[in-house]
Amino acid sequence: MSDIQNQIAANGQAALSSVAAAQTLADLDHVRVTVLGKKGTLSEALKSLGQVPAEERPKLGALANEWKSKVESAIDARKVDLEAKQIELELVKTKLDVTLPSRKIHQGSLHPITQTVRKVSQVLGRIGFDVAVGPEIETDFLNFEAVNIPKDHPARDMQDTFFIGPGVVLRSQTSPVQMRAMRSQKWPVRILSPGVVYRCDSDATHSPMFHQIEGLWVDQKVSLADLKGVLDFFAKELFGSDTKIRLRPSYFPFVEPGAEVDVSCAICAGKNPTCSMCKGTGWLEILGAGMVHPRLFELAGYTPSEVSGFAFGMGVERIAMLLHDIPDLRLMFQGDQRFLKQF
Amino acid sequence: MKVSYQWLNEWVDLSGFNSPQQLADLLTARGLEVEDVRRQDQGFEKVITVQIINKQKHPEADRLSLCTVNPGSGEYLEIVCGAQNMKIGDIVCLAQIGALLPNGLKIEKSKIRGVVSNGMLCSETELGLKKESDGILILPEKTPLGWKLSDVFGLDDTVLEIKLTANRGDCLSHRGIAREVAAAIGKELKAPTVKELTFANSPIKVELQAGADAPQFYGCYIDHIKVGPSPKWLKTRLETIGQRSINNIVDVSNFLMFEFGYPVHIYDADKIEGGVIRVRKSEKGEKLPLLDGGEVETTGEELVIADAKKAIGLAGVMGGGNSEVSDATTRVFLECAEFNPTLVRRAAFRTGRRSEASLRFEKGIDPTGLKLAIARLAALVLKVASPDLEAKVIGAAEAVQATAHPKKTIQTSVATINQQLGTTLSTEKITTILKNLECEIETTGESFKITPPSYRLDLAISQDIAEEVARTIGYEAIPSTIPVLTGMPRSEKNDPVFHRLSTIDRMKDILMEQGLSEIISYAFHSDPWLQKFGMKSTVKVLNPISEDQSCMVPSLLPGIMKAYQENERHHFGSEPLPVRLFELRPVFDYRGTSAIEAKGESDTGVTEQWRVSFLISGPRFDQALKAERGEVDFFDAKAIVETLFDTLATKGIRMRAATSELLGGAASLFHSGQSIQVAAGKEGVGFFGRIHPKLESELKLRNPVFWGEFNIEPVIGLTPMKERSFCAWSTFPTMERDFALLVSDSVSADHLIQSALKNGKPIAKVVKIFDTYKGAHIPEGKVSIGVRVIFSDAAKSLEEKQIDQCSELIVKKWQDEFQAVLR
Repeated sequence: MSDIQNQIAANGQAALSSVAAAQTLADLDHVRVTVLGKKGTLSEALKSLGQVPAEERPKLGALANEWKSKVESAIDARKVDLEAKQIELELVKTKLDVTLPSRKIHQGSLHPITQTVRKVSQVLGRIGFDVAVGPEIETDFLNFEAVNIPKDHPARDMQDTFFIGPGVVLRSQTSPVQMRAMRSQKWPVRILSPGVVYRCDSDATHSPMFHQIEGLWVDQKVSLADLKGVLDFFAKELFGSDTKIRLRPSYFPFVEPGAEVDVSCAICAGKNPTCSMCKGTGWLEILGAGMVHPRLFELAGYTPSEVSGFAFGMGVERIAMLLHDIPDLRLMFQGDQRFLKQF
Repeated sequence: MKVSYQWLNEWVDLSGFNSPQQLADLLTARGLEVEDVRRQDQGFEKVITVQIINKQKHPEADRLSLCTVNPGSGEYLEIVCGAQNMKIGDIVCLAQIGALLPNGLKIEKSKIRGVVSNGMLCSETELGLKKESDGILILPEKTPLGWKLSDVFGLDDTVLEIKLTANRGDCLSHRGIAREVAAAIGKELKAPTVKELTFANSPIKVELQAGADAPQFYGCYIDHIKVGPSPKWLKTRLETIGQRSINNIVDVSNFLMFEFGYPVHIYDADKIEGGVIRVRKSEKGEKLPLLDGGEVETTGEELVIADAKKAIGLAGVMGGGNSEVSDATTRVFLECAEFNPTLVRRAAFRTGRRSEASLRFEKGIDPTGLKLAIARLAALVLKVASPDLEAKVIGAAEAVQATAHPKKTIQTSVATINQQLGTTLSTEKITTILKNLECEIETTGESFKITPPSYRLDLAISQDIAEEVARTIGYEAIPSTIPVLTGMPRSEKNDPVFHRLSTIDRMKDILMEQGLSEIISYAFHSDPWLQKFGMKSTVKVLNPISEDQSCMVPSLLPGIMKAYQENERHHFGSEPLPVRLFELRPVFDYRGTSAIEAKGESDTGVTEQWRVSFLISGPRFDQALKAERGEVDFFDAKAIVETLFDTLATKGIRMRAATSELLGGAASLFHSGQSIQVAAGKEGVGFFGRIHPKLESELKLRNPVFWGEFNIEPVIGLTPMKERSFCAWSTFPTMERDFALLVSDSVSADHLIQSALKNGKPIAKVVKIFDTYKGAHIPEGKVSIGVRVIFSDAAKSLEEKQIDQCSELIVKKWQDEFQAVLR
């Protein structure tokens, strides 16, 4: 072996060791320059081939190029390793404690009353009801007389009313909206009137301000059976398809026949005598209903013999409390975010 | 109304019922809702009679006694007792361990101040026998020991509490309920036989002087009665249904009312002057002493019962103190009469004396049965107030107007009833049902002419008959159908009502998405609370429950601020509490010069203006490290408002800095340097901004609070009804130029933007402020503002030269208009 041959091999070996020893991309680049650069050891070796006999040149040239490509591929391989390592290092350096709190934006909420009104409107909207609204301060005439509760009628005891002035009240029911609707359009009438109502009553289960939704359906030949069907559909949609309804005869001056309507208790189905919802009766009273009294049609300007209809009314708070297991009515009106954000 | 099962059983045979509960279920299903079924011995199961053998002071407590009692068996028990009214030898009631008393008290074995008590000696209050009592109940000397209290008292009846609807005045008696039961089970009523009175020879004559307001009056004069305690049967009947026994005369009139349903009255006949009783309208200013010891002054509206000289009773409400039966009374005059329900109701309300009697008159009594009722009353008086059998009827008087017994008929048909109910009932079925209800029926083919029984004042129209049929067959027997939808359902397109409601819904959704929680606050507050905000209500509740709920709100601020304070009240954390609320509802205003009064059938003169209000305070983020959470400021509030109107796509919303002049009445509410007026079109709809620092400190707000309130109707009016149309954007690149301007700090950024947009037309499409700086290197009174102008053209790529020219013009105008200096 010539000295040059040995020299090339030794330089090549040294270069491979340097490549293996390089710890950073900068180190590696340094190795590349010192070995493969213009003045690099292998380049110099190739240059020195001019001094060797011509017949040895091809062999030595081939050897030098062989080492050169060996070193080049070693550098490339090492580069991949080192780049991966550097990225790894970068990841470690920028590692976060991902369990720290996020910058969560505030979550808003709609009042359970609003949500319940929407649910009820949606369910009944499917079978043809439209929503109508009206003023909260009403005439005594529309609040009472127009719904068949004349002055001095004992039925006035059923609703303790707030007065604003002679003949002016805070509406004690949303029925005036129905009368306003009937007076402004010809039948058929299919409306829902959700809204705020007021009664002089305040304790754990009564609020002086609360919400009602009333429904009214007026057309030719509407029957009590139709009322039952609509309420049955409504109860099943709202409380689940196993829900049953029960109508009990009752009295409201604006309907005849009249009924109290119970739904079956979804919590215990009447099996738990100490059920917090139904007290073991298996039934929850949720609304009042009946066939529109013909007196209302007269006052609306309809001909009572031509039309019939049904009406029903429910307390929205009651429904919302049932749907969401809310234990105390007063929570609804305190504006406490701990309450509001749960729904 | 309370109904005694045993008493009812005297009127109708209840032997077919397995239990009182079964009867209750039947009544409820027929519309007479039974709210409670209570055995009288309920709560007394573990209460027994014991004798006190020894009584000494509790070793650890002066006020307590330690009693040894004998329950009859000789197995003595030690009981700790707080009462002092008993002595050794007394027989008292012991609630044993495990007893659950009528008032809900559960007796458990307990140590009281170190001494074990094996039960509790009971007072009448604890036993639910009286509302108030002094000390424990001491029983008569010879009461047997170890007996159950229910046996001692003979408590073996069951009481049904019935919630009667306002139309069923006919059921306000045992006879009335019995009629319902009899009709339901197809049995006969067991009415007592009553000997008729002969209406003659009454020493006191009766005169009706009030026309149709007092159509009938029956009187009966009885001599030689003796006032005294009631016999046991009478006491028991009354006490069972919660009535206190007074004396035989008072008790017997109460008994008749709860038995027959007629409110009656008994006068001391010797106190009636002039031998006459007149029913007349009062004169204004008559002074009438009443049985309850009070006195009323008449208004001239109410009916009174009078003798020749004076009023002796407020008709239908209460008897007079000047004709009251006393222990010395020996001659009585009985009254059973009919009065105008409305007059009785008004008189009872006005004098604050609504009673069992007035309640029955208000709902209307059976006009045909008065004669029978007075005869029954007379018989009862003779039975209970004549121990020596000397009492006798001297005579009786009657006065009846010709119009006293109106008969009404209802015309209907099988088809009508079936149509109303959605049923297919046969003529026979309907006829049977109505006959059981004592209706008289004339059938002509399919049509009915129905005469309801005289006591059913509530049956007047065909629908009433339909209900009678429905409740008899049971509402569960009515089919269930979905009604046919006739006509076209309402179109939501271009419907202003629908648009309004759906816009309100969207407003709520948008505010919720901004992290706000919807509240519903009371629409009334106290006057002082409104005054805190410089507000006064023009709409007041005349009969509020409390002053706190007397003033209808003129703004949503008082309510939302109350909710803010409620949230702050229970917040004890070191970091400020995020409070983010909104409310959407009407406020109330009245502008009339005279007091509020109904004008016509549907106008109150009160304006209801729907508004939306929001309030934010506290950290900007729901959660984050403290340094990153930040705290909301004016621009967070501005973001909410902009997002609301942008999302709604409301047209013509303008905002401008609010000055004190612009704020007007709201100047005391808002920080004038941190608030904005919002206008929809030309109409100012409200303001938002920071709460005025003075109000902030008056309300003791712990953190800055930002609030806004807008009238929503103009906003809804400018919110498009139609669907949004697609809008194309330029496909050519946009170009940007940034400028750093030094301007006076009185120049508002918006003016710079508007100027650039105007002068950079048509290619300066967007102008943004991206930075402001005050401080080092910036002269006092100046501010450095970074403005970015974005240029684009829909049809071509812009050339540098064009942008340079445009920029020069923009800058020149800034220099001219605002003395701006380019830095």
